[in-house]
Amino acid sequence: MSLYLGRRLLAVVPVLALVLVMVFGLTRLIPGDPAVTLLGPGATNAQLNALRHQLHLDEPEARQFLSYVGGLAHGDFGTSLKTGQPISRALATRLPATIELSVTALLMALAVGIPFGVWAARRPEGPLDQALRLVALAGVSVPAFLLALGLQYAFGVWLGWLPVAGRTDPWEIRTGITGFVMLDAVLEGDGSALWDAIRHVLLPASVLASFLAATLSRFVRNTMIATMTSDYIRTARAKGLQERAVIVRHALRNAILPAVTVIGLQFGDMLGGAILTETVFSWPGLGRYTFEAIRNRDYPAIQGATLVFALMFVLTSLLVDLIALRLDPRLRRQSR
Amino acid sequence: MGELWMVMLARREMVLATGAGFLLPAWARAASSASLRAQTLVIAVASDPVGLEPAVNRAEPIGSEIILNVFDTLVAWGDASQTMPEPRLARSWTVSPDGCVTTFQLRTDVSFHDGTACDAEAVKFSLDRSLTHNSYTRASLDAVQAVTVTGRWIVEIRLSRPIPFLLTLLAQPQAAIVSPTAVRSMGAAFANTPVGSGPFRICHYDPDVSLILDAVPTYFRGAPGMRRIVYLVIADASTRRLMLENGDIDICQQNGQLSALPMEDLKAYRRNPAIQVIEAPSQIMRQLEFNNRAAGGPTRDLRVRRAMALAVDYDGLIDGVMDGTVDRAYGPLPSSNWAYDPTMERTAFHYDPVQARRLLREAGYAPGSIHLTLYTFQGSLWATVATFLQANFAAVGLDVRIEQVEFPSLRTIQTGGHFEVALDGREAWYNDPDAHITIGYLSSLADTAMTFRMPPDRALDGLILEAQSCPDPVRRKALYGEIQHRIMDRVPGIYLFSNRVIVFARADIRGLKLSGAPPLTEYRSVHRDPAAGTGP
Repeated sequence: MSLYLGRRLLAVVPVLALVLVMVFGLTRLIPGDPAVTLLGPGATNAQLNALRHQLHLDEPEARQFLSYVGGLAHGDFGTSLKTGQPISRALATRLPATIELSVTALLMALAVGIPFGVWAARRPEGPLDQALRLVALAGVSVPAFLLALGLQYAFGVWLGWLPVAGRTDPWEIRTGITGFVMLDAVLEGDGSALWDAIRHVLLPASVLASFLAATLSRFVRNTMIATMTSDYIRTARAKGLQERAVIVRHALRNAILPAVTVIGLQFGDMLGGAILTETVFSWPGLGRYTFEAIRNRDYPAIQGATLVFALMFVLTSLLVDLIALRLDPRLRRQSR
Repeated sequence: MGELWMVMLARREMVLATGAGFLLPAWARAASSASLRAQTLVIAVASDPVGLEPAVNRAEPIGSEIILNVFDTLVAWGDASQTMPEPRLARSWTVSPDGCVTTFQLRTDVSFHDGTACDAEAVKFSLDRSLTHNSYTRASLDAVQAVTVTGRWIVEIRLSRPIPFLLTLLAQPQAAIVSPTAVRSMGAAFANTPVGSGPFRICHYDPDVSLILDAVPTYFRGAPGMRRIVYLVIADASTRRLMLENGDIDICQQNGQLSALPMEDLKAYRRNPAIQVIEAPSQIMRQLEFNNRAAGGPTRDLRVRRAMALAVDYDGLIDGVMDGTVDRAYGPLPSSNWAYDPTMERTAFHYDPVQARRLLREAGYAPGSIHLTLYTFQGSLWATVATFLQANFAAVGLDVRIEQVEFPSLRTIQTGGHFEVALDGREAWYNDPDAHITIGYLSSLADTAMTFRMPPDRALDGLILEAQSCPDPVRRKALYGEIQHRIMDRVPGIYLFSNRVIVFARADIRGLKLSGAPPLTEYRSVHRDPAAGTGP
């Protein structure tokens, strides 16, 4: 197991190196000049050249790349062209918000997707299955921005139950311990702050969760249908076990294994979706940070944020593989 | 069984106690939060407030506005109706006969937020610092030779040549007065939490997310009407609209050169009794620019440029496309500018497609033989205006293709001269014709940003430079009148309209005074009217 883990962790290094090269190259291909963005319309050519020199943008690309990699080796993500502040500090502030949103969305997707899949599988092609298929189809096909707008209007403006955007009420200054506002609220015993955080996370998490929940429900449905016709399920029923126990203890446990891989892959997609969701909901996470960085041609910020996203994706894949390994003894044997 | 009951009871009490611990403070905190919300002005802005202190600010709209609320300047603009700045830190001033020395007598009752006095030393320190570190300040106040302290409350500014609009330049955010003590003690931290003497002080800044200002009750012009201002960065326009309609925000700003106001939003806001639409004239210009230094191409021909100017249905654009939210521009200056010559309305181009077609025939161009690419910014409004112009030009036989690019790309295209026509805008950051004329039309500045790329023209250049430093306001106005007509004769562009500054606010917000040039708002006088019944 530890040998497998070591091998997988080593494989992360070339993946990240490749991501680094690609991101560095691609950011330079985005049309526009950061100096122009920073100095605005009234800048003279002399001012622009001075700023380019100050930001080392007039150096050859290769030298810029080597200098960036050298900094990374020392844990330095560089300095934001826009704010002049260290990127690592901004990433450390934004990351908890994205993790909080993604994990909430993941939990919501699991809480909806798995039961829906199981219910649909109990009577394939029955009315419930047909209805859930429609819901899943909507979840997969409705664009995230449209769903976001609809939810904002319905729950924010029309019903007035939930805030339209943001992570907390903006007029209060809350300085947490961990950066995870829900966790901080629990640690500080602040029920008002916890409720505020939950109200704010529900809509963006729902948007982020919709695609995974829909995909997962159809996937679980199909694997459950296949599993329910297996010999061991027939045996379990023949033994006189209650249907609930057959489904939960025997069928679901086996059907969920392939779903774990799907969840892992979809979680990666969810991280990508965070850029749009966080922007629409003004969620101060890594996704919105990336959006702003691209808008401002803030090369080091784009590179830093993309690297962190890539790292999160790679680590999630690794975690999924480890969970699968834990759940399936056959995989454990193969990994040796 | 009894022991088990006791354990269960103990657990239940513990759960209840924990719940009460959460719920009781939650109740009290919710009431306090609601009270704080009522005393807070929440302003939505589209991007992060860059440049929060005078020595680094380069006319970034949001950062500039924050500076005007956190700092004071020697003189300041009150509202859009003023033609001259009013006293602020300076109680009064005198100008030497040659126009090169201005002496300011300062107020003696002003302190910075750190408690130190705002005196002549602080004024000298601030202006010298901005001139040293800020290229924008250096460019606009390049004639400043020395800032001299001649008494604790007297400061003198000596110029190498007269700048007739010096007061206007000193009202800019880049000339705001900072606390020297705070600059020295805070080091790099001063950039994000600068210390001034204004009605608000910066309390908390989370870049790209929010910035919180707290009121200074002891402010020398009187305590602000709100306890707190929160600037919320909301990048998505539809989210801003929903938040305003929902009452999550109080003010939605639309200032800034590139921000485009969706007309459907405006119509929706006008129908909504919970929202007020506040307008003021501005110095913002929207125009179609020709590349006047292009080596070839049909627009080198004056008849083609005149034909294109005659092809535009100005009334249709202003009333139909812009829904009457803009004013017609008749020449290089907006009609709200003090140097605007009203006779321009007679000489300006008016919609005449027949005449346009005739001029094109005279120039030797058959219908469909001219193909142009019209560059403009991204965004629905720019697309709408560009499409309208495209249709106008098509009606007289011109084939125009629209290319929408992001601001940095457009600027690169323009300064490189790689265009023939561009739909563009200018937002003057000081209330003087110089902000439009010198930057836009002086041929020596042709290769810098947002100009008409004018070719060398000794007569026009001479007039521009003379008007720039002429101390006599009557003569100066006459010079700018002549300049406007000379520019129009050359048809370097097609002047379309001047935007009004438009701010959307909840109906219970009172006391908002908009400034047109620059379009920055002071919030000291803003307060909430509970009787309006639309507040949080």
